[in-house]
Amino acid sequence: MKILEANAGPLTNFEVLDFLRSKGAAKDPTRVLAKVAPSEYKIYDYLNQTPACNQTREAIIEFVERSKEYDLAKAEILNIINLRPIAPVEIFPIIESCDARMGDDGERMQELALMVEQVFPTPQNQPTSEVARKEGKETETIEEQAGDVNEEPMETTSTHFEN
Amino acid sequence: MFYLSRIEHTLRVPPSLLHLPILDAIKGELEKLFLDKVVANLGLCISVYDIRSVDGGFIFPSDGAATYKVVFTLIVFRPYVGEVIIGKVKESDENGLRISLGFFEDIHVPVHLLPSKSEFTPDPNNGGKLRWVWDYEGVPCDIYETDEIRFRIHSIEYPAIPVEQPKERDSKFPMEEKPKENINVKAFAPMIVTATIDHDGLGPLSWWDGSGDVEEEAEAEEDS
Repeated sequence: MKILEANAGPLTNFEVLDFLRSKGAAKDPTRVLAKVAPSEYKIYDYLNQTPACNQTREAIIEFVERSKEYDLAKAEILNIINLRPIAPVEIFPIIESCDARMGDDGERMQELALMVEQVFPTPQNQPTSEVARKEGKETETIEEQAGDVNEEPMETTSTHFEN
Repeated sequence: MFYLSRIEHTLRVPPSLLHLPILDAIKGELEKLFLDKVVANLGLCISVYDIRSVDGGFIFPSDGAATYKVVFTLIVFRPYVGEVIIGKVKESDENGLRISLGFFEDIHVPVHLLPSKSEFTPDPNNGGKLRWVWDYEGVPCDIYETDEIRFRIHSIEYPAIPVEQPKERDSKFPMEEKPKENINVKAFAPMIVTATIDHDGLGPLSWWDGSGDVEEEAEAEEDS
């Protein structure tokens, strides 16, 4: 084996996910049929939890275009696309010597975070604001509980009928 | 995080695959050979992206298989130093944290890369199970197992495959207390990623999700 080119180009999470989808990876239970290796499914499952799950090529191109004014390194742009940070404190560790480059007052950081939130769609599993997240969780649990209550008596009655 | 890598390999295609179109046969063999494997200094091979060229098809004497020289592109997982990734805490012990990405689990956060003033103490709410706690000016911030955690890559190592088994220290008494030590010996990992969470914005997602005190403190820290 000979490595001709160790780095023939970096890929965003979205591109890897897109490639796996094009191979036939999907969430449905007929996984055995697709020509996708079990190890590839592990990556598919991981990427589906990340913000890459509903990004589009157009959104990424738009972001790269709009991020030019912030003078970011390529690695930083890639990292922001992969993580979709929507708060300044999430962007802070990604950008090297952030204070010096983005200004101390945090206004540009705020702006960048807002832009990221606008350009990339919200992943289904990760609501935009904290309030929405908490509300979502509560309603979910209530629905689940309600569902359980409804289901259980029905099951018992059906077994009675069979007996 | 993911890269394309171009590789040339001399590949043996067994005659049992003769009935397949040649590209399918080669792709299958390449996947068998590389998928889910770590190549030193290249990373974890994820997928065969494309096949660039196929040369030869030479059949060596006394071998029934055709040997091709194949140039192809792989998708590899190789985080770069300084990259920020989100994973799940898999386990924590006195040496630090171990983080899992689902497909890759050899990510370690050693003690000196945890936030300063971290302590490994029993958790009273969870039956005294030990976990790491970051003491931020009197506010305890816990790191539970299965927490989602944001971390930054510190370094990547590709240890050489050990040729010999580690020698047992005292071979005169092979029966006494040996098995215990052997259990603790870690399985060989071909790619070890060392990560840090000692930075503002890093650590469990719950530390920074804007639920109040912790974030304000972080901003104060940034200013200083």
